[in-house]
Amino acid sequence: MPPGVPRVGLLLFAAVCTLVLAHAAGAGTGGLLPPTPHSPNAHRITDAYEFVLVFVVVIFVLVEGALLAFVVRYRRGKRARTAEGPQIHGATRLEIIWTVVPALILAAIATFVFYKLPGITGPPAAAAADQTTIKVEGRQFYWMFRYPNGAVSVGTMVAPANEVVHESVYAPADDVIHSWWVPNLAGQIDAIPGQTNHSWFEAPVGDYIARCALLCGIQHAKMIAHVDVVPRAQYETFIAARKADATGIALGKEEFQYVCSTCHHLTTAYVGPALAGNPLLKDVKGITLILREGVGNMPAVASDWSDDQIKALIAYTKTIKVPKANGN
Amino acid sequence: MATNVDSVPHFRADWRLGRFTTWLTTTDHKRIGILYIWTCLGFFALGGGLALMMRSQLMKPDEHLLSGSTYNQMVTIHGTTMIFLVIVPILAGFGNFLAPLMIGARDMAFPRLNALSYWFFLLGGIVIFASFFAKGGAAAAGWTSYAPLSTLHEPGRGQDLWILGLHILTLSSFAGAVNFIVTIHNMRAPGMTWTRMPLFIWALLTYAWMLVAVLPTLSAGLTMMLLDRHYGTHFFDPAHGGAPLLYQHVFWFFGHPEVYIMILPAMGIISEVIPVFARKPIFGYSAVVWSTVGIAFLSMLVWAHHMFAVGLPTGLDSFFMMTSMVIAVPTGVKIFNWLATLWRGNISFDTPMLWAIGFIAVFTVGGLSGIFLAAFPVDWQLTGTYFVVAHIHYVLFGGSIFAIFAGLYYWWPKIFGRMLDERLGRAHFWLVFVGFNVTFFPQHLLGLLGMPRRVYTYNEHGLWEIYNMISTIGSYVMALGMLIFVVNVIKTSRTGRRAGNDPWSADTLEWYATSPPPPWNFDRVPYVTSARPLRDWRRRLAEQGRL
Repeated sequence: MPPGVPRVGLLLFAAVCTLVLAHAAGAGTGGLLPPTPHSPNAHRITDAYEFVLVFVVVIFVLVEGALLAFVVRYRRGKRARTAEGPQIHGATRLEIIWTVVPALILAAIATFVFYKLPGITGPPAAAAADQTTIKVEGRQFYWMFRYPNGAVSVGTMVAPANEVVHESVYAPADDVIHSWWVPNLAGQIDAIPGQTNHSWFEAPVGDYIARCALLCGIQHAKMIAHVDVVPRAQYETFIAARKADATGIALGKEEFQYVCSTCHHLTTAYVGPALAGNPLLKDVKGITLILREGVGNMPAVASDWSDDQIKALIAYTKTIKVPKANGN
Repeated sequence: MATNVDSVPHFRADWRLGRFTTWLTTTDHKRIGILYIWTCLGFFALGGGLALMMRSQLMKPDEHLLSGSTYNQMVTIHGTTMIFLVIVPILAGFGNFLAPLMIGARDMAFPRLNALSYWFFLLGGIVIFASFFAKGGAAAAGWTSYAPLSTLHEPGRGQDLWILGLHILTLSSFAGAVNFIVTIHNMRAPGMTWTRMPLFIWALLTYAWMLVAVLPTLSAGLTMMLLDRHYGTHFFDPAHGGAPLLYQHVFWFFGHPEVYIMILPAMGIISEVIPVFARKPIFGYSAVVWSTVGIAFLSMLVWAHHMFAVGLPTGLDSFFMMTSMVIAVPTGVKIFNWLATLWRGNISFDTPMLWAIGFIAVFTVGGLSGIFLAAFPVDWQLTGTYFVVAHIHYVLFGGSIFAIFAGLYYWWPKIFGRMLDERLGRAHFWLVFVGFNVTFFPQHLLGLLGMPRRVYTYNEHGLWEIYNMISTIGSYVMALGMLIFVVNVIKTSRTGRRAGNDPWSADTLEWYATSPPPPWNFDRVPYVTSARPLRDWRRRLAEQGRL
């Protein structure tokens, strides 16, 4: 053990690492791999990740092992401080080896990535006929989904199971850049004002969490949504019902929960002022204007909503019962 | 040859030579270097304080220590501080103090421009920190300040002050870079050919050329941002035909070389420290030099790997993946050459060497995690998450900051004439080394669990909570280590052992001067016969029986 290396420190360090790894091993991917994939593209990304991981672990062990071995083996010990090691100035052959070998490893990684790439960027060709496209709109600070039949949902995307679902991801021109990320289904794709990006998934029935992965303002952390993958029939029923009841409180509730509540609580001030008892809420014209144009620090959250969407929200707000106590 | 006026007796009565005014009016490269280093350490403490507050906020789910607004300001100013007010300028500080000494010159080529660089740097830093008191608080769009968030959605004055501060810092860095280039190209001691130049000077020269190449791009981006905010232009406004992605291209064309601007001189420090404490010459001098130059060139061809998720065409993604992987090769070459330098050496574990070895150990992790990020489909699962936070801290803290501490412990005796305490130095190193890994390693795992970066809170329990808690505890351990450094500096400032000219039996010219060096640096500039002039000199003395 070279001088200057406190054993206690090393032991502690090893203990912490073991603890971390033990915890990680005990719970799914535990943070050692990307989140459990439930779609072919996410699955292939995990494959590529694992391929890189193998090389990375080997190189890590070799480099850190050599470092540790040299530090221990060639420590000064009882030699004089100024005693010189052999004055070796280099070796061209070694330089060539440790230039070429890493280059080959990286070439192998790149090749594997290209091999997996078509299955990540594009859906399986056989499925091309049977597919749904859902528009994903990123806004400060919520996600809104538009379905092929014109139905709308906020905060929760409902999608058919076991078939290819395409996503057109964008942000309105008056908003900022967000990044649409459903870790279990696919990688991140930015929602950029004035541009439409594409992503897709093919997932079994389940509820998958979606997050914004790019700083988009004060409530970036709260920009969370759900992808609710359900059997085809249930999906059809949902979008038909939404379309039929475009001003219904089901949509209004989503809007209130994912749009308003991100910054406003009912009875206490949060990012914005408390809503309960606010005289503006009784003024339908005034509240519509604020939603569409924004006011002060509040963004124009509803600048591209249909009139029906606003009606749905107002219909829902009439059903809210304000608790007497200081609850939210 | 510039003779420093401070040494001329009849100037003694001048107001410029008072106890404080002498520092305000100095054009001596060593004093300017010291001003840079102290100022950067001050900003390092401020930036570190912001980081500790953020880690405290993230220690537990749904914590209410900081609001989203305050947190975003802290994220922005922490990043801006560490990059623009700590790493880049402290490397300039080392360069200022050391470049003339290491190449055998008596000062920088343009001493007054040098002073201007420092004072602009201080002014820029003050503007950025003062912005916390502006209407609406400091800038809150991240150190990258992506448009249109930074142009149309940040009404506060903080963003404007951020632009102003960065403009001032850009001027400071640019003037400093020109000064380094002219000095190193023209003022080397007789006999110091390009291949006899210390590796730190090679790195510094590359740093300076890179700054000259990319700083104007940053200035252009900042100017467009300012025009978009206040003067009705629409460079980045999609509602009027502008392109938000234009900003990202402009920013990262500067921003990625900036990463290497921060790491190459740090690697230069490592290339100076390791041979001295292993008692061997650097293995593969020319390989290390060419890898430095190669990295500098390639660094300007990789910028869009920060933009893999914006929906670039697959061909572009592929190009930037391959260039990003190619740049790993010269980086690997450096690590292998340092390891080969240690091989069969006579290694002493003085504090500078502990930091240098620590650098190799943790920088390797940062380099390897970069491979995941370069493979663009894998990057789609990682960019924008805590994995990236872990990666940048492994390369910029484990890399640049570790090397900066190696440099501080190594050159402290030269700069101030007294040794730092070894025992406290070791405690400092081990606390920071352990604390660093405990803080940042779990952040890789948090990113893989799905935690986005730059969130002020989260509502997840289980592993999220455990890893965040571990990470925060690690940051407190690091802070304790940094406190020990402060104790060390205070304790040794009056009682530290006198260093003498050359306490480490080092190889390069700065150790030929006294510690601290006189204003004129050298009584006589020695003729340089190899890349290790001081070792040659010691051998000549030994042969003559005078050592």
